[in-house]
Amino acid sequence: MDTGALSRRLFLQGSGTMAGSALLRAGLPAFVAVSQAACSAREEAANFDNLTNAEAREIIAIAARILPTTDTPGATEAGAVYFFDKAFGTFMADMRGPARVMLEGFQSGVAPAYPGAERFSDLHETDQDEYLLSVEETPFFQGFRFLTLAGVFGMAMHGGNRNDVGWKLIGMEGPPHAWASPFGYYDAEYMAAGEQQNGE
Amino acid sequence: MANENKVSYALDEAVDFVIVGSGSAGGILAKELSTNGFSVVVLEQGPFRSAADFTHDELSVLMFNELGGGTNDAHQQTFRMDDSSEAELVQGPPPAEYAQTVGGASVHFTGNFWRFREADFNDRSVHGEISGSNHTDWPITYEELEPYYSRVDYEIGVSGAPGPNDAFRSRPFPMPPMPIKSSGALLEKGAKALGMNAQPAPLAILSQPLNGRPACISCGFCMGFGCEVNAKSSTLAAMIPAALASGKCEIRAECAVFRVGTTTAGRANEVFYYGPDGNERSQKARAVILSANGAETPRLLLNSANDRFPDGLANSSGFVGRNLMFNGHSMTGGLFEHPLNDFKGVQVTRIIHDFYESDPARGFYGGGGIDARPLFGATPIAYAAVGGPPGSPKWGAQFKENLAHDFTRFMTMLGSTTSIAMDSNNVTIDPTHKDKWGRPSIRMTYRDHDDDMAMASFLQDRAVELFDAAGAKQHWAEPVEHQTSGAHLLGTCRMGDDPATSVVDKFHRSHDIPNLFICDGSSFVTSGRGQPTMTIMALAFRASEHLMAAVKSNAI
Repeated sequence: MDTGALSRRLFLQGSGTMAGSALLRAGLPAFVAVSQAACSAREEAANFDNLTNAEAREIIAIAARILPTTDTPGATEAGAVYFFDKAFGTFMADMRGPARVMLEGFQSGVAPAYPGAERFSDLHETDQDEYLLSVEETPFFQGFRFLTLAGVFGMAMHGGNRNDVGWKLIGMEGPPHAWASPFGYYDAEYMAAGEQQNGE
Repeated sequence: MANENKVSYALDEAVDFVIVGSGSAGGILAKELSTNGFSVVVLEQGPFRSAADFTHDELSVLMFNELGGGTNDAHQQTFRMDDSSEAELVQGPPPAEYAQTVGGASVHFTGNFWRFREADFNDRSVHGEISGSNHTDWPITYEELEPYYSRVDYEIGVSGAPGPNDAFRSRPFPMPPMPIKSSGALLEKGAKALGMNAQPAPLAILSQPLNGRPACISCGFCMGFGCEVNAKSSTLAAMIPAALASGKCEIRAECAVFRVGTTTAGRANEVFYYGPDGNERSQKARAVILSANGAETPRLLLNSANDRFPDGLANSSGFVGRNLMFNGHSMTGGLFEHPLNDFKGVQVTRIIHDFYESDPARGFYGGGGIDARPLFGATPIAYAAVGGPPGSPKWGAQFKENLAHDFTRFMTMLGSTTSIAMDSNNVTIDPTHKDKWGRPSIRMTYRDHDDDMAMASFLQDRAVELFDAAGAKQHWAEPVEHQTSGAHLLGTCRMGDDPATSVVDKFHRSHDIPNLFICDGSSFVTSGRGQPTMTIMALAFRASEHLMAAVKSNAI
């Protein structure tokens, strides 16, 4: 027994609670009808099991602003969209409909704010960031942010973190995860200074 | 297969002992009793996993509480801070966090393994009464428990080295501490500068092979995860194999107990449970041991109320479920110039116990310890989701740049404290909700005592000083807030000499039912300073000796 609970609690609180729960609590009943309409209008997907190509395009665009491609790979290179695709066919399967509704709701704010644009992916990156800033406190964005992070830094078996892009980005080598001392700068310095390992 | 039963007992033939729960206490009791010739059935609500089943999958293990029986959707636990408010169903992990897996929480705990000290047993006598609380002394002393701590060291497996403030130990640590990490080196640097003592952390993690188990490979996935090489000293790794090999112990996994039955004479005689197929079954027993943890044990006792025991079993005192204690916590984060890589290796390699004893000069009761560790910085999704200083970007290019730079340079100092036993903190039965098996759910009521909050803040103030003294580039104190969940589930069936103010005697026998025993975190009288598992295990070794002696003298 230890403080695993503390960290998990902070983890979940800080991430807007579990993504599925965040989505679930976001006032979904009002959007049920819209959801059904959205489902009927679904485009045929070519490369995804659970997302339409149009949905995938938007997910790629949003995730790319959360962890952008800079001089290092970001969410796009990590294949975060494939994590979303797999999640909505597995552990978030029952959230696919509600999430689709929320994405529609997210998109519906784009055209009024940016005349000439129909969807988020139409916007210039500067406008994309501006729009995300306006919605960053919403359950949709909080949940989306968490899923993006899970898609970049989770295990590749879940569809993302391709070629360990996420782990390499932050300096977490592996797998396999098995290490030997010295682990970092300060313990190496400690041992070089001749400190007693056993504290005796 | 290591986890295959060699014996199968008939349901209608009474076994010597049915043990509810296979965790830190249940696993030891199962091994001790079965290897000494007693017939034992262990009922565990979680599955029977082995080391090969444990992964580094942060999403499944931490986010979806894979080893804890899933999110609260399955548990349906409710929480409130006081009994004047209505308890609410909690989203995410359940408020009472524990494991549902053979080996219990010893499988997924972090492995910090502090012995209690004399102060934990007699603080009430030394420091006096605390108004409005049930703070009292244990009916046993450190000296009485010390031989069993030593058994835990050698039979479960503990690495470490003595510190300047440690209690007496009859035998040295069986193996040296785990290699120091950068977080430990920095804690020690800060401590030296401030005149404090940073000592090697005692851990239930092997630094050397023991009893056929290998040494730790420093994978870094300890907190919340199962160990894939059996280097973590869970009862799954250290006790269960011997219990099964005895041919006298049958472990029934995925069996959720919902009632303990009693005879008209007031003796426990049958344990009712839902089997893996969801159907009701019951096992006859000559004696019953509850080791289900400090939340599940009182729930089971209260849910077992019958005409003979209308307030629940073993509850003539009304103390079943009361005096819940979590241990308090405070957390301080910091960044350093060079990489620590604290995601590698065990969580903790150095601790400070200079503030263990309660000091009246502080103006409040309490004591605790400080350790250095990555905490949620051990795993990348958690760190990305909530890591970094307050106010820093949470998405975008700067966020990404910070992650890339800081993940390897982050560490936490965690303060862990006493919790004061109070009536108002308790486990009761929720009047509305039921868990996935249909059992009335746990309703938790909890609000930290003001002294516990003060102690957590005191330790955080020291952590801030330590970060400065260690040369941190930046540090920040997370708010010390009232807790709304706990993984240390203590005190809810406390031991004592007086049947009016305790549930079990000092040998874990319930005052009311002579063949019903309770041994887990619920037996605690005080909370200790933050790491209770070693004491749960020592109590289990001690209880097993007394149980066997009682059987041999026909005293059960």
